[in-house]
Amino acid sequence: MWRDNQVRDFHKDDPLDSLRSCSWQPGMAIATTTVVLLAVIAGTSLLNRVNAGSSHRVPSNVAWTPETIAQASSGKAFRGLLLAKRCEHCHGAEGFSPVGSTPNLAGLDKLAVWKQLEDFRDGKRSSPVMEPIAQSLSQRDLADVAAYYAELPVYADPQDNRVFPEPNAQASHSPIASRLVAFGEGSRGIPPCQACHGPVGYKPGAPSLATQNADYVLAQLDAFGDGSRANDINEPMRTIAALLSDSERQALATYYGAGLGLQPGGASDIAPKPLKLP
Amino acid sequence: MIVFTVLILCVIPATRYYQIDQPLMRWLRGPNRVDPAELHLSGEFVENNLGTEIDPDGSVTVRMIAQQYLFVPHCVLVPAGVPVHLRITSADAAHTFALIGTHYAVKALPGTITEAQLQFANPGEYTAACAEFCGAGHFEMRSELKVVPREQFQALDSVKRGGCVAR
Ligand SMILES: [Cu+2]
Repeated sequence: MWRDNQVRDFHKDDPLDSLRSCSWQPGMAIATTTVVLLAVIAGTSLLNRVNAGSSHRVPSNVAWTPETIAQASSGKAFRGLLLAKRCEHCHGAEGFSPVGSTPNLAGLDKLAVWKQLEDFRDGKRSSPVMEPIAQSLSQRDLADVAAYYAELPVYADPQDNRVFPEPNAQASHSPIASRLVAFGEGSRGIPPCQACHGPVGYKPGAPSLATQNADYVLAQLDAFGDGSRANDINEPMRTIAALLSDSERQALATYYGAGLGLQPGGASDIAPKPLKLP
Repeated sequence: MIVFTVLILCVIPATRYYQIDQPLMRWLRGPNRVDPAELHLSGEFVENNLGTEIDPDGSVTVRMIAQQYLFVPHCVLVPAGVPVHLRITSADAAHTFALIGTHYAVKALPGTITEAQLQFANPGEYTAACAEFCGAGHFEMRSELKVVPREQFQALDSVKRGGCVAR
């Protein structure tokens, strides 16, 4: 009985259902085919004309219009859970990946996961592993998977063998990283990381970094810095990563990899000792 | 059936009207209207159109996007002694592109292209700061504007003219 309900719920909003139930007649089929063919021909010729004049580079086909945001956040976590079975091998059963170079997905914002999958699908972000996987998913699948990972808790289950954050001997509020995360560096025009990546503020599509793997953060900063990853809309990350030195990138990766980003950074992280008042 | 076909043929362009760079559509959108969410898809603020460009009359046009919490391009190069047409828009909140030490301050608003005429007599370097509170990273929202001698600017290739961001 329980199973039955779940399955029915699962198909509830399938748009094909209405088509299946309608009775088809030969005349109607021919007429519809003609119309669809004409529409496709007209549509493609129009699109070709639009694309012919523009040789510009588009970083990502995603644009955060209200419709896109609604579509990206309309996923069903239950369906996403079933789809995400095939993600487990690399990204972990709880969304915490066993390998440092693979991102943790637990608790990531729906829009962030959705956008990256969409970009992998369009080839805007390259990965030999993720591109074919994303291409095998439908538009609806992307939203469902994103909804599932958004619902996973940020703290790993203590019953699980994998522990996160990884015990790190160097895990401390290094002055370089704390300053960049909390205040950025105004003299060089580097905004604070936490203004867009949380927990202070978020921009649509900007992932939370609080529980990300250090190796992954470092690899992405390097990729943005040399332009090998270029799917950020209006170039914010390419600009910032290019402004960061190697040691700053390393410090930021260590900071986030140790889970320090769970709390907002502030002046108390930078001052070595609290001021003692008489 | 014919009516239906014609209807569909009309609906397809209507849903994609913002991608069509035709005079009628431009007129419908108005001269200085852009969709802040779709700057990177089409129109004059696409990635490789940002930065400085030489106009036929010898003046230059600078296109910039202000966004939380950056100006893109992050370093702009312009020639000295030449009119500079700045065209700036915002991808999110209201910002102001203010050149410290000058009286130039240009507001950048989402959905609107702001036009401003600047001119720099001598070569020099300016800090451009956001002069309008725009969110948590506002106080670090700064970029550079470098004024170089005219001959030096014209000797550069089109990519280098675009901006002076180290990459
Ligand atoms: Cu601003």
